[in-house]
Amino acid sequence: MKYLVWIALLMIISGCSDHLVWVMSYEKEYFAQEKMSMAPLSERAEQEGHIFLIREASAGGDSSFQGGCGCR
Amino acid sequence: MSIAKSLIIAIAVLFPFLKGYASGLKDSASIGVNTYNDNADVNVYSPTFSLMKTLSKNFLVGFKMRVDAITAASIKNGGNPVRVDAVVGASAKEGFDEVRYAPTLLMAYDDGDNALSGGVYYSTENDYDGKAIFLNYTRQLNEQNTAIGIGFSQSDDRWKPVFNRDLPKDYRREGKVDLFINQLISPESSIQFVYSYMNSSGFLSSPYHYVVQDSFARFENYPDTRKGYAIAARGVTMLNDTNSVNFGYRYYKDDWDISSHTINAEVWHDFSYLFSASLRGRYYTQTKANFAKEVGGYNVTDTYFAVDYRMSAFDSYDVGTGFIYRPSLSSMWKYRGSIDLYQTSRNDYIKNWYDTDSIMAVYTTFNIEYEF
Repeated sequence: MKYLVWIALLMIISGCSDHLVWVMSYEKEYFAQEKMSMAPLSERAEQEGHIFLIREASAGGDSSFQGGCGCR
Repeated sequence: MSIAKSLIIAIAVLFPFLKGYASGLKDSASIGVNTYNDNADVNVYSPTFSLMKTLSKNFLVGFKMRVDAITAASIKNGGNPVRVDAVVGASAKEGFDEVRYAPTLLMAYDDGDNALSGGVYYSTENDYDGKAIFLNYTRQLNEQNTAIGIGFSQSDDRWKPVFNRDLPKDYRREGKVDLFINQLISPESSIQFVYSYMNSSGFLSSPYHYVVQDSFARFENYPDTRKGYAIAARGVTMLNDTNSVNFGYRYYKDDWDISSHTINAEVWHDFSYLFSASLRGRYYTQTKANFAKEVGGYNVTDTYFAVDYRMSAFDSYDVGTGFIYRPSLSSMWKYRGSIDLYQTSRNDYIKNWYDTDSIMAVYTTFNIEYEF
């Protein structure tokens, strides 16, 4: 059921979403700055993702990939 | 619904919108070193290297290499960091106790409105081989105000215990599907929502951890399947011309009854056009697995045994700082670094296994990137 909800949401966003244009292209200058990224330090994001997988029992919630290792 | 079926449906929904636009792909090379040191006598030094090369304006291939050079009392002693382990009979070594090599081959396609990336990962160390594939697709919509995407990864890893132990299963397989949506909500703010589904199977505990009680000893044994999901929300907003803040929340839940909440926030400040730095904090709390018992609470007839503190309830805290520096506005060089202090709450299983009240760690990253 939850997959159907996600797919319906994707279809709605992709098909009927002119109302989601809230920022014009000439207003996007701030988003070009690194500090406006969700993860400005990609190396740290990768390193801490690995550490939290080793030191904690949770995962997911981001779109990054973490390969397996014996320390887990 | 299987992971593969979810992936096929999602790609079928997204791919009709494919069309060509300009690419943001760039040639780059980087080197770096990451470190991790904790009070459980685990020390990891990790040189990293990456090379990204565009083959056309829309297509890039890349190679990343990470080497983990590890010293750990648990490896020296055979499993337990505070006493030499008679069960596995390991002997102390000189130099690094373990070296892990983890190369990754990458490819990426980006036409401005569609971004497709993927790769293969391989990792090898004394007692473990890891193999994985991963694929991500992102579609920009609504004049690039909205981005929707899907990510998929599947690993197929093998245990090779360093002592003669026949595992009930020698593999560990992990699949993950991520669905995400980014939305610009103003010229200064954007938000992101992520849903992840994870499925693991095989030998999911450590082959070295064991429970010792007065009358018996047993190796750890967990259920051989685990399914879980996570939902997360993140945001970033510009406070003024020189300050921004990003923040996030994640909820995790699995069929071992482990659930967790994670919150984090980071403030960035531009000290100049060339130098930015940040302060951040993270808090994590989790519940215990449904098969985990208190220290000393197991019976010889139990099916499952857990000595790893990660199967118990605990909290953790992280505070850190990071920086980004360019020598000049036109420079092709970029320097990034960070240092973080991580600490868990007091935990009986940490005390039992590591002989310390909590895990306290310092981890750092440093990276030099050159775009050409």
